[in-house]
Amino acid sequence: MHSEIVVVIVVATALAFDFTNGFHDTANVVATSISTRAMSPRLAVGYASVLNFVGAFISLQVAATVAKDVVNPADITLLAVFAGLVGAIAWNLITWYFGLPSSSSHALIGGIVGAVLVADGPDAVFFDGILGKVMIPALIAPTLAFVVGGAAILVLYRTVGGLRPARVTRGFRGGQVISGGLLALAHGTNDAQKTMGVITLALVANGTIASNDFHVPDWVVASSATAISLGTYIGGWRIIKTMGSRIHKMDSAQGFAAQGSGAAVILASSHVGFPLSTTQTISGAVIGSGAAKRLSAVRWGVAGNIVAAWVVTLPAAAAIGALTYVITRAFGTGAVGPIVVSAAILSGGALLFVRRAQQSSVTPAAAEA
Amino acid sequence: MIGAIVDTHDLLEVVWTAAVAGLGTTTAYGLAILGVGRALDYGRSGRTVEALAYGVLGAVAVAAVAAAVVFGIVVMVNK
Repeated sequence: MHSEIVVVIVVATALAFDFTNGFHDTANVVATSISTRAMSPRLAVGYASVLNFVGAFISLQVAATVAKDVVNPADITLLAVFAGLVGAIAWNLITWYFGLPSSSSHALIGGIVGAVLVADGPDAVFFDGILGKVMIPALIAPTLAFVVGGAAILVLYRTVGGLRPARVTRGFRGGQVISGGLLALAHGTNDAQKTMGVITLALVANGTIASNDFHVPDWVVASSATAISLGTYIGGWRIIKTMGSRIHKMDSAQGFAAQGSGAAVILASSHVGFPLSTTQTISGAVIGSGAAKRLSAVRWGVAGNIVAAWVVTLPAAAAIGALTYVITRAFGTGAVGPIVVSAAILSGGALLFVRRAQQSSVTPAAAEA
Repeated sequence: MIGAIVDTHDLLEVVWTAAVAGLGTTTAYGLAILGVGRALDYGRSGRTVEALAYGVLGAVAVAAVAAAVVFGIVVMVNK
């Protein structure tokens, strides 16, 4: 009975993470479209929300990659999965509070690694997998997006330089509908699957699914798609503002170049099976499209904060995941620990929302400005 | 050491395909805007040959962008 309650809590926590993932990463897809006025804020998040939902159903093959390549699935326990998810949710909420576009994928990996490290020791963690599948792609992808985004905007300015500005703006705003749609699909298929993998892993750990019959149940796919889609629709307007206008003030050509380059890097990586952070990739492309036009156009202080968040995300989420495991385990292996910690994270999240609402209100209209 | 952990062949493939796809698609879209814009301008001023040439450029560029989008979706579906 206790085990069933813990499974329910873990699934609910995973869906909560999925919701924060959508909420946190809305900015990746819609920020440039909103800031260049290619779409209204509500239309942009609605469009991204629908395509994230569709994207979650497109493919299931990478659903278990996070767990299989980063930690030993045989050593996973329900409490470790729970603690890892709490680490990821907590880090997503903290970075949302400060308006920083950090990686939800790295938060999830960090949280799980931290919890498993404390629960089962270093032998249960695949450090080669973390380096090869997480750390090195984390360096390559944003750098590549920065270079391609920068080169693309230079080529675009040269190509359309002689045309009437109004026509160019209208043309690239139309292009952003396409490139933004591709990004939303890619985000849905990449990020929703990570949650599906974690829920399935919890079901394996509980014995609900046999470990030699690893498959993602339909209800897991549907619920994960719904959670990320709802989170995307609610939208993290603070991060949208950072991505859309605080790094640099974009024109529609730069928005299109950033989205097109980001989508190309994400799809190329997906093609060869590298899991990567959509957040870092799009941020790199946004900075590149600004720096190529004029170095001083980029607010390097904001860009520096974003890079610092990238570096800190993995160890910070790991530390929170490890601490959460210790606290949860102190209550034993039953349902009491997860219930207490869930109540604490819900209270903490609500407190952050209230504090942020009191300090400022970044609304859809403000995000557009 | 790094080569043993990371598949450098895959890594290089990501670099060149992303560069070609990113630059290629955005350039094609820029050419589509250029082609359609110039075709409209020349059409209005009665320069039919130029309008036709730019119209063809615009159409080919739009087709290239459409092909890239379809390919991107196929990559997602098949991964």
